[in-house]
Amino acid sequence: MINSSKIWLIIKREYSTRVQTKSFLLSTFLTPLLILGFMGFIIFMTVSDNEAPKQVVVIDETGRLLEPLTQLNATRYLPITASQSIDEIRDQIMADELDGYVLFDRSFLSEGTPATFVHNGAGGITFFESLRSDIRDVTRQIRLEDNEVSEAIIEIFEERPALENRRMNEEGVDEQSNAFLSFSGGILIGIFIFFGLFGYGAILMRSVIEEKTSRIVEIITSSVKPIELMLGKLLGVCLVALTQFGLWIATYAGVTILAAPVAQFFINQRMGDFQNSVSALDATGAAANVPSDIDLSFLEQFSVDPLFILFFFVFFVLGFLMYSSIFAAIGAAVDSEQDSQQFMTPVMLPILLGYMLNFRIAEAPDSTFAIIASLFPLTSPINMVTRIMVSNVPIWEVALSIILLILSLIGMLLLAARIYRSGILMYGKKPTFKELFKWVRQA
Amino acid sequence: MSLVIDVQNVSKHFGKATAVNQVSFEVEKGQIFGLLGPNGAGKTTMIRMINHILNPDTGSISILGEPASPKSQERIGYLPEERGLYKKMKVFDQLMYLAQLKGLSHQAAKNAIDFWLDRFEASTWKKKEISELSKGMSQKIQFIATVAHDPEIYIFDEPFSGLDPINSEMLKDVILEEKKRGKTILFSTHRMEQVEQMCDDICLFNQGKAVLQGNLRSIKQSFGNNTILLDFVGDSEFLNELEGVRINNRSTNFAEIRLLEGASAQNILQVAIAQAEIQRFEIVQPSLQDIFFSTVKDTKVAD
Repeated sequence: MINSSKIWLIIKREYSTRVQTKSFLLSTFLTPLLILGFMGFIIFMTVSDNEAPKQVVVIDETGRLLEPLTQLNATRYLPITASQSIDEIRDQIMADELDGYVLFDRSFLSEGTPATFVHNGAGGITFFESLRSDIRDVTRQIRLEDNEVSEAIIEIFEERPALENRRMNEEGVDEQSNAFLSFSGGILIGIFIFFGLFGYGAILMRSVIEEKTSRIVEIITSSVKPIELMLGKLLGVCLVALTQFGLWIATYAGVTILAAPVAQFFINQRMGDFQNSVSALDATGAAANVPSDIDLSFLEQFSVDPLFILFFFVFFVLGFLMYSSIFAAIGAAVDSEQDSQQFMTPVMLPILLGYMLNFRIAEAPDSTFAIIASLFPLTSPINMVTRIMVSNVPIWEVALSIILLILSLIGMLLLAARIYRSGILMYGKKPTFKELFKWVRQA
Repeated sequence: MSLVIDVQNVSKHFGKATAVNQVSFEVEKGQIFGLLGPNGAGKTTMIRMINHILNPDTGSISILGEPASPKSQERIGYLPEERGLYKKMKVFDQLMYLAQLKGLSHQAAKNAIDFWLDRFEASTWKKKEISELSKGMSQKIQFIATVAHDPEIYIFDEPFSGLDPINSEMLKDVILEEKKRGKTILFSTHRMEQVEQMCDDICLFNQGKAVLQGNLRSIKQSFGNNTILLDFVGDSEFLNELEGVRINNRSTNFAEIRLLEGASAQNILQVAIAQAEIQRFEIVQPSLQDIFFSTVKDTKVAD
C-alpha cells in the first residue's frame, strides 16, 4: 500500500539537504559552546565575586562590635582611624578606594536601632547578605556573652546539623543525590524538548509551504502519494533533530566521562609540583601536610543515565511526529507563513501549557497534577521527561504515557494526512476551520 | 490500435462546484491528443486525474489497460501548468531525486540525466542551484525532469505558456520526435491556434464537459469550407454591411469571415471589390477557435 522505497528517497533528500546547510552546522556546534560559555560566565561571576575582597570601614559607636568583626574577617572590616572623618570616608567611597562603611548607632545593642550600610553600589545582593549574616552572628555572640549563658547553650547555637541527600534508585540502593541539580536538569530538559518540538516543527511547516508555493508538490505527487511525501518529510526532519541532539548528548557524555579523570590528572600534577617544592625546601624530609586526594565523586552526579536518554528520545520522537504532523497539515492548508498564524495558536497552546507547567512539575514531580500532565499526550513529551529526570516514575506510568502518546500520534497523523492531501493542491483563498473539517470528512 | 488512455464517464466535484462532468474520451498509441478549452474548463482537473494525483468521484480511468495507480504514474511524464523545482537544490541532485521517485534505479537515472543535460547543452549547470539559473534554463531542467524516466505517455499542461520562442520551437521538435518514437502525447492548451498543426485527435472542454471530440481533420471537414480569408487595402466600412456572416477576426486590412446559412461567398466578393482593393480572397475550412465558439454556442442553445 505504502511504497517504502519512495519514502526512503524522500527521507534521504530531507535529511541530506538540511544536514549539509551552514545553519545546521553552526547551530549544532555553537549551541553547546554558547551553553558552556554561559555556564562558565556564571561560575566566573560567582567565583570572582568571592575573590575580590571588599573593604568596609566599621564606625562603631557601641565600641563592642568592631573587634569581633575584624576577628571574623580582617580584610573586609577595617577600623576607622583617629584622623578620619566621615566625610573623608565618603570621599574615599566615591573614589572607589573603599566599598562602603557600616554605621552602628550608640543604641544599636541596647534599643535595637538598625545599623546602616552605606556603599557605592558595588558588591550586590550576595555581599549584602553575607554582611548581614556576619553582623547577625557577631550580635548574637555578644548577647549570649552578656547574658552569661552557659557554654552548652552557646554550643547549641553554634551547631549546624548536616542533612545528607540520598535518592533511592531502581535497585533500591541509595545514591548521593543533588536535589537542586536534578531540579534544574528537569527544567532544562523541558526547555530543550519544547524548543526541539517547536523549532523543528516550524522548519517542517516552512518546508511544506515552500514546496506548495514553488509548485514542485504537483510534480512530486505525480510520483508518490501525498501521505508518503508527508511521512518522508516528517521522518527526514526528525532524523535531523535526532542527529543534532545525538551529537549534543555524545559531547555531554564525553565531557562528563572525561571530566573526573582529567580533573584528577591536573590535580595530581599540581600536587606533584607542590610536593616537589615542599620536599626541596624541607630537607629534613618530614611528611608534607598535603591532602593526597580530593573527592571528585560529585562529578558523577552530572553523568546521565542511558535509560533516561532512551526515554528522552522516545518521547521526543513521538511528540515530534504528533505535533509536526499538525504543522505539516497547517503548512499544506495555507499559502504563506503569515497565513499560518491563525492555525498555529490552537496548536501552540498545549505545548506552551506543558512548557509553563514544567516548573511546578519539576518542583513537585509526584503530585497528582504532575502525574496527569505527564500522562496527557499533548503535554507528556515535555512533562514526563522532566518527571523522569527529577524523580523515580513508576515504570507503568511511563508505559501508559507512551501508549497514550502513540495512540494520539496515530490519530493526529490520519487527521493531518487528510488535510495535507487536500491542502497541497489548493491555492488562493485561505481556508477556514470549517473547510478544514470538510477536507477531513471528505477523504 | 491499442488504447493508451481510456477515460469513461468521469466526474469530479469540489464542494458544490463540478469541475469535470461525465467526460469520456480515448487516446490511442502514438497519437498527439489535444485537450482544448478556455481557462477554468476543467482541463487541469482532468489531467490531474489521469496522473492519479486526484481520484475521480465517479467513472473510470485506465492507463495502458490498467486502472490509474502508482504503477501507471511511473509510465507517465508530467509537466504541470505551474512549473516548479526546489530553488535551493543543485540541478543534478534535483533531477536524480525526481527520476528516482519515478522508479528509476540510481544508475539508470544518472545515465538518462547525463544524456538529456548533454542534449540541451546544459551539462555545465549540474552543480548549480536552480535559483542561479535563468528562466529559460530552468525551463529546460523542468523539461528534463519530465522526460528523464523515458515514459510511454507524456502529459503537458499548457506546455507553451511562458516559453520563449526558442524553447517553444524546441519543445515542438521534441514532441514530434517522441511521437515518431511511438510515444503518446496528451497536452492541454487554451491557445488553440498553437496546436492546430500538431494534434491528431482533440477533445474540446467547456464548463467541465467534453463538447466536441474526434479526429481534428474530420471535425474540420465536417464543418465544410465556410470561412473566407480576406486581405484588402482601403476602407473597412463594407464589412459592417455584410449580411448572413460572422466576422471572427478583423484588423485594418484583414478579415476572417464565417459564412452563416444562406450567405454566398460571391456576394461578399462583389461588395468587397466595390469598396476596397482586394489582395487575397480565399475560401477555407474554419479555424479550431471558430469551431470551438460555434460548438459552445450550439450547446448553450441546446441547454
